[in-house]
Amino acid sequence: MRLLALIRKEALLLARDPHALAVLFIMPALFLLLMAGAMSSYMQDRLPPLQLSLNAPQASEASAFFRSALQAQLPDSQIGSGAAAGVATVRLAGDFSETLLTAPHQGPSLSFPAQFDRLSRQRLYSAVSIALAQTRLLAYLQDSGAIDPQLSAAERLALVQQRTQSQIDEQQQLANGDLSAQANATQMSVPAWLIFGMFFVVLPMAGGFQREQQSGTLLRLRCLGLSLSTLVLSKVLPYMALNLLQFAALLALGVYGLPLLGLEPLSLPGNGVAYGVLALSIALTTSCLGLLLAALARSAEQALLLGGGMNILLAAIGGIMVPKSVMPAAMAQVANVSPMSWALDAFLTLLVGHGSLADIAPYCLRLLLLAAVLGTVGLYLFKQRVQHTQWTTHY
Amino acid sequence: MLELRSLSYSYPGASRAALSGIDLQLEAGQCLGLLGSNGAGKTTLLSLLSNVLATQQGEIIWEGPRSLALVPQQLAFYAGLKVGENLHLFADLYRLRGSERRERLAMCVECTGLADKLNRRADSLSGGEQRRLNFAIGLLQPAQVYLFDEATVGVDAQSRQLLLAAVEQLTASGKAVIYTSHYLEEVERVAQRILLLHEGQVRLDLDTSTLLGADHGLLVEWPQHVPEGFGALLIALHLRAEMQPHGVRIAALNAEQFAAISQFVSGQVPLPTVMRFGRPSLEQLYLRLNGGQL
Repeated sequence: MRLLALIRKEALLLARDPHALAVLFIMPALFLLLMAGAMSSYMQDRLPPLQLSLNAPQASEASAFFRSALQAQLPDSQIGSGAAAGVATVRLAGDFSETLLTAPHQGPSLSFPAQFDRLSRQRLYSAVSIALAQTRLLAYLQDSGAIDPQLSAAERLALVQQRTQSQIDEQQQLANGDLSAQANATQMSVPAWLIFGMFFVVLPMAGGFQREQQSGTLLRLRCLGLSLSTLVLSKVLPYMALNLLQFAALLALGVYGLPLLGLEPLSLPGNGVAYGVLALSIALTTSCLGLLLAALARSAEQALLLGGGMNILLAAIGGIMVPKSVMPAAMAQVANVSPMSWALDAFLTLLVGHGSLADIAPYCLRLLLLAAVLGTVGLYLFKQRVQHTQWTTHY
Repeated sequence: MLELRSLSYSYPGASRAALSGIDLQLEAGQCLGLLGSNGAGKTTLLSLLSNVLATQQGEIIWEGPRSLALVPQQLAFYAGLKVGENLHLFADLYRLRGSERRERLAMCVECTGLADKLNRRADSLSGGEQRRLNFAIGLLQPAQVYLFDEATVGVDAQSRQLLLAAVEQLTASGKAVIYTSHYLEEVERVAQRILLLHEGQVRLDLDTSTLLGADHGLLVEWPQHVPEGFGALLIALHLRAEMQPHGVRIAALNAEQFAAISQFVSGQVPLPTVMRFGRPSLEQLYLRLNGGQL
């Protein structure tokens, strides 16, 4: 009954704390929406179409074949003709068809507008290289008489593509963890900011304890002979429940909210149990971290600074703010010390790698082990703190 | 109800004991006014009684199971909860049930005048109202001994009367009370017994009536010394006087003698600093006993 009363009290206090609710729900939701939107053009399953122009001074069979081969490499892109402002231009030489078999070979020249990003340049460069190689192969086959001259343009293209394509087997190694390079903006943003928001539960948890101690209510509770386990559970259980609520609410925002903004919806492949275990592992870690912070901080302001600073640091190094895939190798290694990174890797294993509970078990175990260490130290310091709560005299 | 035997306590590293050899017996229905200047040992004694500090030396003996309710001087409630929610929370923590719960809640609300504030958030109350809520939460707890530590600081005069009446009601119902306050007129009103601590030791432990009654009569004090001719006047009036550091105290005198003294005194320069007829206040006694320190 006492435990229930204290849990109800925590729930009421939280429900009436607009700042805590903003930090726990609105802040991660805003980050999630903003970052999913901002990264949607870079991190997506299908690369965006390119706007480009093919400038071929000599209208020849070879230049027409090159256009077809290039279009096949960039199926969604629009390839115009002639010079156009603001789009990338592929310029074929005037003697393009005559020099196809010369070596060394001078290929087309490329020009990019300023806003053309590095990835798009690389895509265009690769597509031009392949189309050029296929055009030169066709020229070689024609020159050597190895191709039927009666074949249509489409048949010739199909033949050349057949000769230049190989079957490459792909195998996903889930245990490696870092799937952020493959994640789209939704798959990256939703779990990243959800985890970030869940860790912020340490602020109201530690701040509330400080206020309890400063106001003298902790002294009152102590004089009532409340056991340490009742006191600790009255803190940990409500905040774990809050964490689970955050987990469900932010996933729901990813699934149902993002499509309303024209963004890729979040899909949750795999077994729900795996998501549940992951949510509990994160919630236990954050609650134990909150307990430790509550015991370490000496005022609500200190708890705010320590907790906020620590979370931002863990997020910055843990691949929350910047995906690990774009970090240099050394920084990506450093990222692995952050529990936020473990949680994110587990999430991406489920969302991107379509992993199972067994696949995320190492991450969850790591989180639970950390929770055990934080919880043990936190419990010891919390006990000391409660025992040293003194009768305060101001007058 | 509660007995302290040779209770001593020293803080680690302190040069002298915070409490030394305290003996005390607190009876049911008795209110003990606990006085002492800062550092006298009051807080240590309260901490030991409330189990915040563990006993080092001596004994605290409870008649029956330990049963202590407290009103600390800090506002020990949840500011984000409403008044009623705070009271119900503590009722749960005190394990109050059924009719006892209802009766005690009603009693506390009535004693502290909070009936119209139950739906207000505690942090929206005035300072005095918050103090009353703090008081109510202490009163709500069923206990044999109640401990009030500066419980009325910042409370307006009208509310203070309510709270003091509640303390008197407690003692009238057979509960023991330990009341500490720097408002000595409050202690004088509610306490039947005064315990004065000084440097961790009991300097004085007396019934209030004995303490205050022993010093009745006319007290006249001057800034420096008794004026010339005053001794001759006392002889002429056939009065016996007890010499004080800055004046005299006359235990008994009639109206004519009083009028003659008043006439003499009013014609002197300088005028007296104190001219009091009747018994001294607790504050005056306390200042004298405690070397002028509150």
